[in-house]
Amino acid sequence: MNKLNEILQKKFGHASFRDGQQEIIEQMIDGKDVIAILPTGMGKSLLYQLPAYLMEGTVIIVSPLLSLMQDQVEQLKIIGEKRVIAINSFLPFQERELAIRHLADFKFIFTSPEMLQNEQFNRALKNLSIAYVVADEAHCISQWGFDFRPDYLRISNWLHSLNDVNVLALTATATKDVVEDIKNTLRMNNPFEYIHSLDRAAIAYEMVEVENQQEKMNWILGRVTSTEGPGIIYTQSRKKTEVYAAMLREQGISIAYYHAKMEQSDRILIQQQFQQGQLDWICATNAFGMGIHKDNIGQIIHDHIPSSVAGYMQEVGRAARDGKQAIASLLYTSTDVEHTFYVAMQDFPEEQDIHIAYQPEYAEVEQAETTTRILAYWKERLNEQETIQLFKQIKQKKWQDIQSFYSMIQNDTCIRRQLLHYFDQTLLEKPAHCCSKCRLDVTSVLRKRKDEKNNQDRLNWKNRLNILLPS
Amino acid sequence: MRFHQTLLFIIHKISGQRSENAPYYLLKGKKSGQTIQDVTYFQLHAFFSILPQLSKEDYDAAIAELINGNFIQLKESLVHITEKGIEALPQDKKVLLNGWQYRGKEQIFWKRIDLVVQTLSQFRANEKKFVPNQKDLATQHFVKDYLIQHNYREFNLSTDIKREIVHLLENPLLDDLHRTLFIYRLSGYKKAGLTWEQLTRYYQMTDLSIKISFLECLHIMLDNISVETNPRLVDLAKDIHIDTPLTDSAFKTNSLFEKGYTMDEIAKIRKLKINTIEDHVIEIVSTNKNFSISTFISKEQVERVLHLSNELHTKKLTIIKDRIPEVSFFQVRLALTKGEQIHE
Ligand SMILES: [Zn+2]
Repeated sequence: MNKLNEILQKKFGHASFRDGQQEIIEQMIDGKDVIAILPTGMGKSLLYQLPAYLMEGTVIIVSPLLSLMQDQVEQLKIIGEKRVIAINSFLPFQERELAIRHLADFKFIFTSPEMLQNEQFNRALKNLSIAYVVADEAHCISQWGFDFRPDYLRISNWLHSLNDVNVLALTATATKDVVEDIKNTLRMNNPFEYIHSLDRAAIAYEMVEVENQQEKMNWILGRVTSTEGPGIIYTQSRKKTEVYAAMLREQGISIAYYHAKMEQSDRILIQQQFQQGQLDWICATNAFGMGIHKDNIGQIIHDHIPSSVAGYMQEVGRAARDGKQAIASLLYTSTDVEHTFYVAMQDFPEEQDIHIAYQPEYAEVEQAETTTRILAYWKERLNEQETIQLFKQIKQKKWQDIQSFYSMIQNDTCIRRQLLHYFDQTLLEKPAHCCSKCRLDVTSVLRKRKDEKNNQDRLNWKNRLNILLPS
Repeated sequence: MRFHQTLLFIIHKISGQRSENAPYYLLKGKKSGQTIQDVTYFQLHAFFSILPQLSKEDYDAAIAELINGNFIQLKESLVHITEKGIEALPQDKKVLLNGWQYRGKEQIFWKRIDLVVQTLSQFRANEKKFVPNQKDLATQHFVKDYLIQHNYREFNLSTDIKREIVHLLENPLLDDLHRTLFIYRLSGYKKAGLTWEQLTRYYQMTDLSIKISFLECLHIMLDNISVETNPRLVDLAKDIHIDTPLTDSAFKTNSLFEKGYTMDEIAKIRKLKINTIEDHVIEIVSTNKNFSISTFISKEQVERVLHLSNELHTKKLTIIKDRIPEVSFFQVRLALTKGEQIHE
């Protein structure tokens, strides 16, 4: 058995590598820059975790998503790795100071692009022997990506200040333009590119046009009460998550809603209940799903047209991690395009906002946090007119994205083929259960719901305590 | 006690003497001289700082409901309890909260016990890989040290903790609602706790009422935890009880008093207004019965103020000061604060 397989089994408990993993890891150990595009749930964390055990030095993982960082740290701790820390703005000041003073004690350091601006942290990093730098969620680097984070661009100068360090860029979604942006920003030197097919053969796609909102409700009610989950219903407003959940709960469905306005403790509990199978369904805004570890999700339902193909792929990609047949259903009406555009533009700076941002007394004006952040970045680089032009372009692009999603579900071409085409990939083999345009027989994909009403048991605290801590 | 009852209870105490917003600052735990002195004036220690996250919207909505239900009235910017309100006061219900003492620190105790139970539950099931409910490092480090100190590998710890939890929960001051909330918020192997929303639905109670009940449970547990009866759990309550429940700023002022500085000197040293130092004095007197006030006001003056306050059934400063012009507002406040302690 070679060294790679040995670590894979002993440390990570896997019998064999998945597609591409071994290739990528070997390139990294050889000291090459690597850019890897692979769908969520295809074992991307192994790519930055495993080589660390065969290489000297510390691994720095830069991630723009703070909410994911916590989960990534926990996943490493679960496999018994103690030398891991997340250094970000959530870490209390004193703990951060302490960690920075003992930076060399850690094998894995997670951090945010914002944190890389911190001088003290930077000095400490420079004294470190670095095995490689990981740029996670690398598509956020590109302003054309659906999730652009301007702060992430600052990673470029930071990398330049380090001497000749290897970079691994990871993303689950990237078009050709985005890949070019990533390579340039990360100063990648003739990188090894691994592009996994973003197709998920086990997911069938079903697009359903309805007349109005009421029909959507009825459809969801019919589907969820007659077929098996576990599943996620994605909707656009917090209010709707609650309305759907209440409606389905009345029919005996074990369901909870989830959105960003809930208390953190409750969000954690809902996520765990779903993972442990205490809940069959979650009705959520797009705040739900990152860092969820559940293999057997069988259905993803959208009651709207998503604002981007990439975002949609990420959400449906949470199904069928176990490889068993699943279905992604999307309900839409002809007026959804306008509505989705409206939702997507809610936090988007208008010409007026940009004008205000360029006024000297700007600091006193209150704007949405993301708006402030993005505008602050461009203000350093462009003049007012250029920024207005840029945002017009981005806005137009958003509108086009939503329009093209709409025409994709309206035309007669295979959904799967079109989704892949968006990422400049081609479909090699159509699965038996493909999509509603390829004469999908929905009944052969869905399992009938076993008619067990979810009667809530009486709560009994003594029994419960005995279950938690058995004698 | 439910949220509306709690509110009514507080309004009953301050009826006709304070505005309808005074209970809001009390529940939020506002550290202003006015709020802190009211705690002592009106004997409201139980409710201080119990709902630090209470939103003004939720609060105003509850006040509006009490007004619409004719339980309270607003007159000349003061809140009054009505006869109907008095009838609706919780009967023979003991006040179980102890907000003045814990100041939100009961949450630290909760986080620790939550993580200890989750960890032990996972270990009992031989599933050592799990995602902790509690994310903050301080709690995680504390629990790790605690488990090592208590030899968590031995079976005893889990049974001891279970027995001690049952013992604390069986306190007759608590009822099954308290017990159930506490246990079902806990998580363990393949059993995630219930959310507030799930519990409010089950009990058909409002979110705030459920949270107050949960808090009552934590406070009663903490009040009764002791080395003798809870040798395991007592360590989880480490540093939860506040010895000197003073705000940081009042604490600094107090230290200077102890060193013998006068009020004017302290104001100069700390670069604070004399009013602020007066607020500190009120706060110190509220918490420390032995703090001598003889340098600020004579014994006779205290008695005159208290006598008048009794006679007129009021704690309104202006009314009292109008009748005794030679005392300052500060002295009236001081006398009233001291007076409450004599009655305790
Ligand atoms: Zn197809």
